Amino acid sequence: MKVNKYELISHTADIGIRVKANSLEGIFCSAASAMFDLMAKEKTPAPITHSLEISLNANSQEELVVFWLNELLSLSQAKQVIFDEFIINKFTNTILEAVVKGKGFNNYAIDTEIKAATFHELKLNKVKNNWQLELIFDV
Amino acid sequence: MDKSILERINEFTWRIPTSYKKGMRVPGVIYTSEALLDGVLKDKALEQVANVAFLPGIVKASLAMPDIHWGYGFAIGGVAATDIDSGGVISPGGVGFDINCGVRLLRSDLTFKDVNKKLEILVNRIFSDVPTGVGSTGKIALSTKDSKDILTKGAKWAVEKGFGTEVDLEFTESNGAMEGASIESVSKRAFERGKFQAGTLGSGNHFIEVQVVEEIFDEKIADSLGLSKDQVTVMIHSGSRGFGYQICDEYSRKMIQCLSKYNIDVPDKQLACAPLESAEGKSYFSAMKCAANYAWANRQCLMHLVRGCFEEVFDTSWKSLGMNLIYDVAHNIAKIEKHIVDNKEKKLCVHRKGATRSFGPGQSDVSIKYRSIGQPVIVPGDMGTSSYVCVGTETAMKNTFGSSCHGAGRIKSRTQALKSVNLNVLLKELQSKGIIVKAKGGKTIIEEAPSAYKNIDQVIDVVNASGIAKKIARMRPIGVIKG
Repeated sequence: MKVNKYELISHTADIGIRVKANSLEGIFCSAASAMFDLMAKEKTPAPITHSLEISLNANSQEELVVFWLNELLSLSQAKQVIFDEFIINKFTNTILEAVVKGKGFNNYAIDTEIKAATFHELKLNKVKNNWQLELIFDV
Repeated sequence: MDKSILERINEFTWRIPTSYKKGMRVPGVIYTSEALLDGVLKDKALEQVANVAFLPGIVKASLAMPDIHWGYGFAIGGVAATDIDSGGVISPGGVGFDINCGVRLLRSDLTFKDVNKKLEILVNRIFSDVPTGVGSTGKIALSTKDSKDILTKGAKWAVEKGFGTEVDLEFTESNGAMEGASIESVSKRAFERGKFQAGTLGSGNHFIEVQVVEEIFDEKIADSLGLSKDQVTVMIHSGSRGFGYQICDEYSRKMIQCLSKYNIDVPDKQLACAPLESAEGKSYFSAMKCAANYAWANRQCLMHLVRGCFEEVFDTSWKSLGMNLIYDVAHNIAKIEKHIVDNKEKKLCVHRKGATRSFGPGQSDVSIKYRSIGQPVIVPGDMGTSSYVCVGTETAMKNTFGSSCHGAGRIKSRTQALKSVNLNVLLKELQSKGIIVKAKGGKTIIEEAPSAYKNIDQVIDVVNASGIAKKIARMRPIGVIKG
């Protein structure tokens, strides 16, 4: 799994991440890959076995990114899959349509359970020419 | 928050005045000590206590228990009660993602000497028989009917399946099931997310601990609870697993829409809420009850598996080992309770987010056996020091809506722990104290290192001295099983 760089933000009970990208879509993909990287490491490289579609609506970009990550967590647990490829097909400030691909739990060493992405202290903004997201997960 | 904001009420209580932030409907009240307060001031926990005071219908105060630490939305260790008849709200953030995360404590007739010689075999047996860790799936397969029954019947479902006895239900908060849990409020995805996980421990701070009673502070009450010095006990900490996370996620999304619909102003979206009497409020409460019932069934299944391990290792039945349930408490939950506010009895929605019910003597919601002494309050510490059993008090009924702390409370982040703790040094340290630890990975052990937590003795001293629970017994861990 290719993981874009991300930083960890210290939080007393939980874990936060800071990701940067040159587009908003890039932020959504980087945040998703950071989240699964925190959760699991692939044991041996293997071909993709699962492909699922996601379609989301929200009132704002901030809501959309939290809904996106929580939808991925939910699908991951329900289908027992770790996702490592995120293809965004439609993207506006409030709509996201994507295809996400991954492999079964048994292909990974999973060592951190992320319960959810939260709105607490959420920051999504443009810093110079880059987008930056700070987000705290409940672990 | 700057310390100068706080008004000291007495030795163990501080107040955040409503003047601190425009929109606070009640003050914040923090139960802590001078020594613990300095740690609390380092992060954003007190800001969260002030934010909770914005909730419509909140009465008396936004409360923080002595184990308070920074969470998301509510602080962990937060208690807030809203007046239902005055538009009081319910907030999924006031319960958390792990709905009815809680603890149960089993007693035994075994002593340290009996167990110590077989400790390693016992710990290995529990580690192998109880599914632990992220992504672990339960050995208990749920049929479609089971997946529905578990949500309405809670721990009773498990007992009907043969996982324990009716007596266990008597010693479980709410008898192991909240009434009014309707499966109509639960999505297909939540069913899907929960179906693999019944009877699984989970990971993170969830654990099973074999413990020894090290000190008794009140012989008479300890005796009523079935506790005595040198006796072996077992503590189980787990919750509603993915099922609860899904309920919280879905209803948090819905509640964000409610903020504008009901003209509610809260400073953090994670505090999104709706009046309990609204359609959205009622629907969340029903779904939350389903998750709470799932969690009680889960802890009942886990206890059944643990009893089975003791039966194997000691070659006799759990009943002959005296492995009765002392009590099971929820520490992430919202409940409808009656409390006195301004000399009037009010029907309140009490949110306990990382807080334990601490009902004092005489409360009809507490098992008859404990009604004269108050409900047992089970307080896990960290894996290297101690855990406590307390009982609820009249003072808690009067001051904290019958609530107390739920643990030691973290002081160090997981990332800090990973940077500062060496796994081998920690394991040797625990070994030198006679503690065997088994976990799926080293990372969890480091993240849960004793140094990441507040000193549990100091936390319990505040609990005891402020009167929000009475300390009865202290147990030290000898075998720890983590996810």
